[in-house]
Amino acid sequence: MKTAVNQKLIETGERERLRELLRTRLIECGWKDQMKAYCKDIVKEKGVENVTVDDLVAEITPKGRALVPDAVKRELLQRIRTFLAQQTKI
Amino acid sequence: MQQIPLMDEEAMTLLEAISSDELESLSQDVYTEVANGVILGLCFEVHRAVKLGILFLDESKEESEKKFEIVDEIGRDVFGQVPIKKQFECVCPNCQRNLAASRFAPHLEKCMGMGRNSSRLASKRIANSGKVDSDIDDFDDGDWNYGNDRKCKYYMLSSIFKN
Repeated sequence: MKTAVNQKLIETGERERLRELLRTRLIECGWKDQMKAYCKDIVKEKGVENVTVDDLVAEITPKGRALVPDAVKRELLQRIRTFLAQQTKI
Repeated sequence: MQQIPLMDEEAMTLLEAISSDELESLSQDVYTEVANGVILGLCFEVHRAVKLGILFLDESKEESEKKFEIVDEIGRDVFGQVPIKKQFECVCPNCQRNLAASRFAPHLEKCMGMGRNSSRLASKRIANSGKVDSDIDDFDDGDWNYGNDRKCKYYMLSSIFKN
């Protein structure tokens, strides 16, 4: 089931569109600036030389997920739901 | 994750059998995936910036920020200095007189004998310079030929109208 959905998302290009939409929304609402400031704190704490991508991902992901505004999340989910519903109807 | 490519029809039948609960959880999954993708992108961006040393470029040190803080006081400019009234004076390179800056350009035009009708006046002045003490007309330098000029024009006009 999941693979089928994934395939559809990729084939239609919808996944790329969704990602782009989310990125734009997060820049618009200031999420990105907030996260960047947070990243800076982490980098300062760890030292510029010792930062790895894995560190950043581990530190940022929970906070990043939590900080996404509800409105943005709702918009995304609505769009995904519509897409899935469309796919089932065809 | 390795995906086994499904035929379109197969995928459709699979999706057809979806219940609303499943739809909800699937949507959540897709959202999670997309959000993680975006966060990962941000991580790459920041990591790259760190390694290139451009992450902290827009920050300045505290001391310099204190030093160049904008001053907001009455009677001072943004640098904290008291505005001083400067006496703008220039020295004419031609005749070495002190002049107010606002009168420098008209003076120079006449003094050096350039401009519309000044060459004539300048040459006249050079011719007269032996007789007239030049320091006297220092004070009303801007006007020293104005009346002359007017009379001249008036004379010309009246002579034209007479004819």
